Amino acid sequence: MLPEEAALTDIASPLHLTPALPRRSSLNVSLVVGILLTSGFLVIALVSLFWLPSNPNIPNIKARMTPPFSPAHWLGTDGLGRDIIAQLMVGARTSILVGAGGASIALFFGLITGLAAAAYGKVADELISRGADIMLSIPGMVTALVLAATLGSGSFTTILALSAFFTPSFTRVIRSAAMSVLQEDFITSARLYGRGKLFILARHVIPNIAGVMIVQFTLYFAAGILTEAGLSYLGVGVTRPSISWGMMLNEAQQTVGISSPLAIWPGLAIVIVVLGLNLLGDGLRDVLDPKLKRRGA
Amino acid sequence: MAIYVLRKLAFFLGAVFVASVAIFLLIRAAGGNVAAILLGKDATAEAINALSHTYGLDRPLPVQYYDWLVKMAQGDLGQSFRTKEMVSELVTERLGVSIPLALSGLLLGILIAIPVGTYAARNVGKLSGAVLALISQIGIAVPVFWAGILLSVLFGVRLGWLPTGGWTDWSQSWVGAIRSLVLPVLSLGLIMAAVLIRYVRSAVLDVMNQDYVRTARAVGMTRTQALLNVGLRNASLPIVTIIGLQVAELIGGTVIIEMVFSLPGLSRMILANVAAREVIVVQSTVMLIIVFVIAVNFLVDLLYGILDPRIRNAT
Repeated sequence: MLPEEAALTDIASPLHLTPALPRRSSLNVSLVVGILLTSGFLVIALVSLFWLPSNPNIPNIKARMTPPFSPAHWLGTDGLGRDIIAQLMVGARTSILVGAGGASIALFFGLITGLAAAAYGKVADELISRGADIMLSIPGMVTALVLAATLGSGSFTTILALSAFFTPSFTRVIRSAAMSVLQEDFITSARLYGRGKLFILARHVIPNIAGVMIVQFTLYFAAGILTEAGLSYLGVGVTRPSISWGMMLNEAQQTVGISSPLAIWPGLAIVIVVLGLNLLGDGLRDVLDPKLKRRGA
Repeated sequence: MAIYVLRKLAFFLGAVFVASVAIFLLIRAAGGNVAAILLGKDATAEAINALSHTYGLDRPLPVQYYDWLVKMAQGDLGQSFRTKEMVSELVTERLGVSIPLALSGLLLGILIAIPVGTYAARNVGKLSGAVLALISQIGIAVPVFWAGILLSVLFGVRLGWLPTGGWTDWSQSWVGAIRSLVLPVLSLGLIMAAVLIRYVRSAVLDVMNQDYVRTARAVGMTRTQALLNVGLRNASLPIVTIIGLQVAELIGGTVIIEMVFSLPGLSRMILANVAAREVIVVQSTVMLIIVFVIAVNFLVDLLYGILDPRIRNAT
């Protein structure tokens, strides 16, 4: 599901990047919980680069279907005896690679198109904005199926598909944020001072919409993880030896049936991580824009 | 109003055109030599060329594209290479699964989200409002296929009330068909609701702070009366737009849910035909779905213009 972007568009005044004043005495719960969950997730992925309980891709028939909470395999093993914790840890890495990868590429192209639409006249704006509207009305999941089937599945195709769906949303949010910055007096002064358009965009606009970009990135990082899980569940996303939580759910359903605990852990991992990132995004939105009415959870 | 409709119509046609080019290129350019794949690796070059010629696949791409577009516009979706079945018939068979699933899922989502979102907005700052906001926040993080798996474990495996998957056709038993749709619809609807609740909540919150609601309260309406009489009608505008935008998401959810519950809907047909390189079937079916989504957005735009004169008169 795509994150709420409407509420982001009104963060754009440049004043909002000043550090949050101690305006609200109550603790920003979203932000704190979001930071905790997200950093836990990042640490686990980082640890997986150096240490894993066992190789998550090598079958170990003797240990197959070990139940959860046994000493050698805390969350048990799957139908081929592969350790669940090891698979979940590598899955965290995939989520970051694909989710953050897709969101980063979308941010890059969204920044270029959004700034171009905001700063380079009515024709450019109309072309880019209508193009973004068209792309937004195309159902991503169906196109991703076709894309994966024609280009072959894998992490790279998945990142490509995600960045294609996400770019128009970034374009729209960055465009409207940049437009309101461009109306500020200090932009006029810079222009009168003889600064060129590119200089003004790089020196004045981008730093002032950084908050919007960070929030948008965080929310689409989460959306990317959800979409990747869906594609991998369908078998057209990430493939082994990479491991994805969506893929683990698919394998659990195909091999041991859905009532096994194997169908619980990867789903739980997705929910916790996506929830963490969404809370972080909402929390950051409040901090980066103290004037914004609180709308999210 | 006429100019507004014309602008929206132009956008509709433009979107359909861009989507059709994208789908055509994606499937044709990346799909390799279709005839060679259909014939297998022992096929001679002559056989491949002959087959390409029979299917018209040896013509230049723009000609093939134009041909496909003209036929689509006339209602001819083409036919399968291997089985010679008409795409329109293949699609019609599957719609008996996909349309009830998608529409009931959306309807359930709306029916849950409007009262719950309104309640959450009215109780903002109280415990009940916070709990609802948290539940919706968690619901947004749940992948729709995992919701399907959990519901199917609970109601299918543990309680045994409903089938965990599979399909009984309407013609055999409509009770059976409904029974096989209950869990898929529930999964789709609950996840749609979680997403929609947030929008309903913020739309109602916005409206509650408006002057006209204060005025309504000042002339003696209770909070509930004010909300029902002037509030909900104004809040309905953004909600209608969001529902229109969610249709693309709904299609995505339907695709996955059909796989979770092994329902013989459109998505399974698309996947099978992608694997078999039935390019015409895939191309036409995917295009049909996209035209549907764009058309819904077009209708939502029109509705929005009718509901709100400010929109239709804006330049």
